[in-house]
Amino acid sequence: MSKSKKIVAPTVEIPDCAIFCQNLTFEYNQKSMFAKRALNNVNLTIQKGEFVAIVGHTGSGKTTFVQHLNALIRHQSGVLSVLGHNLGDKKPDLKALRQDVGMVFQYPEYQLFADTVLDDVCFGLKNFGIEKDKREALARDALELVGLEFAKIKDKSPFDLSGGEKRRVALAGVLAMKPKILVLDEPTAGLDPRGKSEILSLVSKLNAEQNVTVLMVSHDMNEVYENARRVIVFRDGEVVYDTTPRALFRHESEIEAMNLEVPAMAQLLNTLEEQGYTLPDELRTVEEVYEAIVALKGGRNA
Amino acid sequence: MLRDVTFGQYYPSDSFVHKMDARVKLVLSLLFMVGIFFVESFVVFGLITLYLLTVIAVSRVPLKSVLKSVRGIVVLLFLTALLNVFFTKGESEPLVNWWKIQIYKEGLIFAAKMLLRLTYLVIGSSILTLTTTPVDLTHAVESLLKPLRVIKFPVHEFALIMSLTLSFIPSLIEETDRIIRAQKARGADFDTGGLVKRAKAFVPILIPLLVGGFRRAEELANAMNSRCYEGATKRTQMRVMKATWRDLIATLFIVIIFTAVFVIYAKKATWGENIWLYF
Repeated sequence: MSKSKKIVAPTVEIPDCAIFCQNLTFEYNQKSMFAKRALNNVNLTIQKGEFVAIVGHTGSGKTTFVQHLNALIRHQSGVLSVLGHNLGDKKPDLKALRQDVGMVFQYPEYQLFADTVLDDVCFGLKNFGIEKDKREALARDALELVGLEFAKIKDKSPFDLSGGEKRRVALAGVLAMKPKILVLDEPTAGLDPRGKSEILSLVSKLNAEQNVTVLMVSHDMNEVYENARRVIVFRDGEVVYDTTPRALFRHESEIEAMNLEVPAMAQLLNTLEEQGYTLPDELRTVEEVYEAIVALKGGRNA
Repeated sequence: MLRDVTFGQYYPSDSFVHKMDARVKLVLSLLFMVGIFFVESFVVFGLITLYLLTVIAVSRVPLKSVLKSVRGIVVLLFLTALLNVFFTKGESEPLVNWWKIQIYKEGLIFAAKMLLRLTYLVIGSSILTLTTTPVDLTHAVESLLKPLRVIKFPVHEFALIMSLTLSFIPSLIEETDRIIRAQKARGADFDTGGLVKRAKAFVPILIPLLVGGFRRAEELANAMNSRCYEGATKRTQMRVMKATWRDLIATLFIVIIFTAVFVIYAKKATWGENIWLYF
């Protein structure tokens, strides 16, 4: 690991993990009268294969944080290492980094531009210098992964597709690069319930089967509760909570004070707990909780 | 980076200049822009400089924000100045005579005056946009163009198009920023390669931007239709513009200054070239 010249603090040993940051601080309009601190001494370690949700009110610094991860926002101070790429370096290898960290923006369908779906999905692959004959196979895998029929869709214009299909094509355009870390900024915004659950189960599948590290920014706490194993809450550029969803949503009043909602499932479990019925912490879906309640009552036929 | 575009940005305050009638401000700005081309001597330029500084001080806009608009055209300014230096022929001996390049004293003076004129032009117009909201500005344009209705010119529609265009600019800038980020995340590279390669790299930005523009326009049209918008028929304005004593004072101020400028310009022939106004 090469040492950065920018870092003033003593260089730290960077552990083998997906994302490691220490005292990460960022200011917009640095050194001007409009300077605004968006991140303030953020310390985080995210292991490979984690599914992390990032939540926070608008302007809390969460988007600034995730855009650091593939150097769309250039690092200013502190330590930031992503899959061994040290972003404090003067010239980090941006291509390699951006290939490793796939970033899906809000409303990604607005980035589609090519004549055909295939060309659009191949755009990233082409930029990263993958040979022509390999691109189509990767694009096929990605399109099939997001649940689209490759033969049917590859020659269509992306502008002729439905909203949900467009989003999946855009997602395929990122997944085709086989990123090791997948960052999603509100991937389900504006989708119908079915579209939402399809995208979420796809992301969960990638996380579970291909060990992709997932960071998901979301405003939907129900979504966060059901999918993430770890929640990081940003407020005013600082990490205020970094824990499991179950532990986080026990702090009902603090959560609401931050303008975040408490998911329905957590409300139910909290109420049960108040009444003296403690269920295991790792329950997430309706089915799991139902089974647990039934078990608590002593079985179906009790 | 794109957010730094300041040309035409409103600086909120409640100064004398801000409170003036937008129509008066617009007309006076136009007068200033025309008048500046009749300024020929450095002494009068000094007078105009004093005038601009007074207006800026009265408007309470920081000098820094005003000068920011000049920064955007620095390249243009220097190109103009350079061309003037090299292509103006004078009557006296050239100051520099090397190969095919001759630089005359007249060229240098002319270039300096051109530089001043263009800079003051930009400063003058940005004082207008810094102290007037885009909404007021379009109302002013609409109000001033009213006489054109006689020849069936769609004044109201014209003003509407203008205000919509202005109000779309910030959201388009934001959208451009977002698309650039999204394509960069997919490995797009806008900073290396030759001219053709760089031009081609902008296709993935321009197409989504255009598509987005049409989408927004359509959404807006639907929103207007669903609120029964019908164009100019019997519409009244929420804020009625009214000229006050402020506008009278400002008008007198400018009229006096530019009367002086015009008189000096017109008297050039009779007073001759060599008086102090023309060193």
